Amino acid sequence: MLKYVIRRVIQAIPVLFGISLVTYGILAIAPGGPTARFAQNPRITQAQIDAFKHRWGLDDPLYLQYAKWLGIWGDAGVLNALPGGSVDIAGLHIDLPGGDNGILHGDFGYSVTDGRTVTDVIGERVLPTFILAGTAYVIWIFIAIITGVYAAVRRYSLFDSALTIFNYVGFSFPTFWLGIMLITLFAAPPLKWFPVGGMWTTRTIPIFATGEYWTFVGAHPLTALWDLGAHLVLPVLTLVVVNIAYDSRFVRSSMLDALNQDFVKTARAKGVPERTVIFKHALRNALLPVVTNIGLEIPFLFAGAIVTETIFSWPGMGREFIQATGHFDYPVLMGILLITSIIVVFANLVADIMYAVVDPRVQYD
Amino acid sequence: MDNAPVTPAALEELEAANPDYEVNLVSLNQWQLAWRRFKRHRLAVFGSILFLTICAIAFIGPLIAPFDFYNVPEPVKYCTGSTTLRASNGCPPSLNHFLGTTGGLQRDLLVLVINGARLSLAIGVGASVFAAVIGTIVGGVAGYFGGWIDNILMRVVDVMLSLPLLFVILVVAKFLGGGNWFVVMVVFAVFGWQTIARLVRSLFLSLRSEVFVDAARAVGVSDRRIIFRHILPNAVSPIIVATTLAVASVIVSEAFVSFLGFGVDVTQPTWGNILSNSLTFIPLGNWWWPLFPGLSIVFTVLGINFMGDGLRDALDPRSRD
Repeated sequence: MLKYVIRRVIQAIPVLFGISLVTYGILAIAPGGPTARFAQNPRITQAQIDAFKHRWGLDDPLYLQYAKWLGIWGDAGVLNALPGGSVDIAGLHIDLPGGDNGILHGDFGYSVTDGRTVTDVIGERVLPTFILAGTAYVIWIFIAIITGVYAAVRRYSLFDSALTIFNYVGFSFPTFWLGIMLITLFAAPPLKWFPVGGMWTTRTIPIFATGEYWTFVGAHPLTALWDLGAHLVLPVLTLVVVNIAYDSRFVRSSMLDALNQDFVKTARAKGVPERTVIFKHALRNALLPVVTNIGLEIPFLFAGAIVTETIFSWPGMGREFIQATGHFDYPVLMGILLITSIIVVFANLVADIMYAVVDPRVQYD
Repeated sequence: MDNAPVTPAALEELEAANPDYEVNLVSLNQWQLAWRRFKRHRLAVFGSILFLTICAIAFIGPLIAPFDFYNVPEPVKYCTGSTTLRASNGCPPSLNHFLGTTGGLQRDLLVLVINGARLSLAIGVGASVFAAVIGTIVGGVAGYFGGWIDNILMRVVDVMLSLPLLFVILVVAKFLGGGNWFVVMVVFAVFGWQTIARLVRSLFLSLRSEVFVDAARAVGVSDRRIIFRHILPNAVSPIIVATTLAVASVIVSEAFVSFLGFGVDVTQPTWGNILSNSLTFIPLGNWWWPLFPGLSIVFTVLGINFMGDGLRDALDPRSRD
């Protein structure tokens, strides 16, 4: 088992390396770049642009730029990838040989638009995305399991056919159009039940996750929660409707498989009550593949709601990505691409290992 | 066994020559059998008709009602049957404009949706076919030759599948596309072949060890001939199904990318572009503007999905649940 885990982790390393290469490559061949904004300004001379390029290392050859970005070359030379700084062990002060710049040290550089560090820019987007995607995720997994299992148990019933049709339509609904139509129906006149977008009512509530916001939440917890809830309804509904379709179909077919197994027939033949057969014998086995599938959807909690966030102006990672693309903000783009890819690789790894753990039939090698 | 199609005339001749013949055994080849199964799948037939109708509209429609970006209709102050000033609002569906008109420039929505179908479908179908070709080549090479080639190619696929593809497509389409629909199509193909490559690889892996391939190799058939004559024809059905279903997802993604303004140039109507323009007018209550282009997408995708399911059942009967 341990051998299997270690082997999978080692296999992930070249993939991560490839991801960093592709991410860097895409933005290296893209036109524009950090100096593009000077083109419009007649007072900036070529000498100044060259100085700027030299200052930021943009006149280096591409492989050197990549090495510096990754952190395998830098102030500490070839040893830059090693941990830098200094440590105190038992009163002994040791200077480490490594550097402290580059991706390997968690340094993603600075945003071109506002000069803050990329980690700051991305960091403040994590919580809103997590709130939106997490709420939707819990609701749709819950509904998908219940409807999927029920449809499988009552196969060919009216409910089963209705769910199948709903799933077909759900598959075919473009997420962004569903969001637009929900806004048209419930947020535009005449109904105006919910806000059109955003995460809080800017007129009455301070900016989210600032000190003032938490003070406000402390003073009026119900107002704040109610406001957040009202802003959540439509985006969560959008995500849930679109995502239920796939998952409930998955649960249904997995439950059908389990119900056809020999041990279920044996249990029935022995006269075990139908309830026990369904919940104890079939459901437990049916949920095995479902658990893995749920694990694979976890990266979505950090990155996936790009479409919904854009439509509903939700201040999360997806929207930040769209804005950064519009601003040619390369460091932020690379940061988001890299972090989400790493999360995907990690989730795949966890799902594989989880599957090996819960299903003893899986061979490790 | 004779696989040549039996013409009615030939049958009559046969019956005349053999009066005792009571049962006419007509042997059908694989594709005729698949077609028979497909016809029995009612939803699939419905889906195909829906999709083909939309394709026909996309092809013929623009000839009847062409769209010209620079040709702006004469402004109207009042909508048909209304006495309130139009302001910058569009008009709801009426007999003059079946799907209503847009706000602002007051273009006819029907003309927009018909003309939008062309690029949306072209990008969807083109990108999927192109991706299927790349995927088949990569997956075939990896699956047939195995070894280090397989290892390298599959790591490349792993890397590309780990990237959030929609993000990458957005960036590449924005920076390289410049609004050209052909470039957008190529971008979708270049970032969309990985799942088909995995599929083809697994098919090749299992077919490679079949007895008939061993037999072919034993009598000295070349690699190229084994791949194209012995393995590929057996792998074609799943590839067709996967490609069909990919068309639907490309159409949706393309609409979204164009909707964000990173796809096809705004001077050309696509369903995504029409939806994108509608956004500012939704708070004014112009429900028909986002409704109809969106419905076109839903119907197209629904049709393709039904068709794909029918194809799967017809071409690969073993995969039915």
